[in-house]
Amino acid sequence: MSSFHPLDNGDFSITFTSQEAHVLINLTEQLLELLADGDGQSHQVDPLLHLVGISNSEAPPEDPVLRRLLPNAYEDEQAAGEFRRYTEHGLREKKKAHAILIYEALLPQDEDWNGDTPLDKGSIQITVPMSDSLAWLGGLNDLRLALAVRLGIGSDKGTPHVEGAVSEKMQDADVHKKYELMLESDPMKAVYAVYSWIGWLQQSLLEALEGQ
Amino acid sequence: MALGTITESEIETDLRADRPWVCVVWDDPVNLMSYVTHVFMVLFGYSKERATELMLKVHNEGKAVVTSGTREEMERDVQRLHEYGLWATVQREIEP
Repeated sequence: MSSFHPLDNGDFSITFTSQEAHVLINLTEQLLELLADGDGQSHQVDPLLHLVGISNSEAPPEDPVLRRLLPNAYEDEQAAGEFRRYTEHGLREKKKAHAILIYEALLPQDEDWNGDTPLDKGSIQITVPMSDSLAWLGGLNDLRLALAVRLGIGSDKGTPHVEGAVSEKMQDADVHKKYELMLESDPMKAVYAVYSWIGWLQQSLLEALEGQ
Repeated sequence: MALGTITESEIETDLRADRPWVCVVWDDPVNLMSYVTHVFMVLFGYSKERATELMLKVHNEGKAVVTSGTREEMERDVQRLHEYGLWATVQREIEP
């Protein structure tokens, strides 16, 4: 499996198989679509407010993945709504920038590697500058969070509940066990494998950073 | 209520108002421990020891105060933590 390696100049190098690159490209594309979803709603209502990054919506997003990616900043609903109105658009933009960074780094850069390359053949070597490492970590983390919600790992509530923390953790151990034991033919098994792989990738970049 | 008298609840309110604001990070079963530690180090300039200590507090106790200051500062910190996928909220300093 591909892993990040520190270079002498402080940057990082990684070689993805064509298949791995396709998985990341597809996931970041989906994440970008999701982050754009619902963001334009205020545009029709008040273009001026939208222009300065203020949304008319104070309600948390309906999609559970978006609720996890754009959580409430206050436990109090009213304070959370007011804060969301001024900040949610900016948060979406930041997360989109992280996803775009990963997406563009993996796009075919020469004739040897393109979208038509068979999935199990070829590879792409990329360099992640030191200055992009946190954005990469954040972008990979958003992909993990999105997959985790779909897999039912962790809570998808807009506000964390400390009372339930212990029981939730036990449930999560059960969830992991469930996927470990799942039949290879189950499509969710593949989703879980991707979730685990991205965690491994993130850990590999963290270790490479540690080694700098 | 008579003019010029201060009730006990009003005094309590005033004391509350003097308490600083804090940024609380909540436990999350998805985020890697090493990642949470790294984010604390980079965003807040904490040493590895301090960042690890805070990460473990979040992990073991379900939450931890990671920064304190004005409401505006805490809102900025929460926003930055959300940018990197950590679960954080702004609140008044937790009662001792």
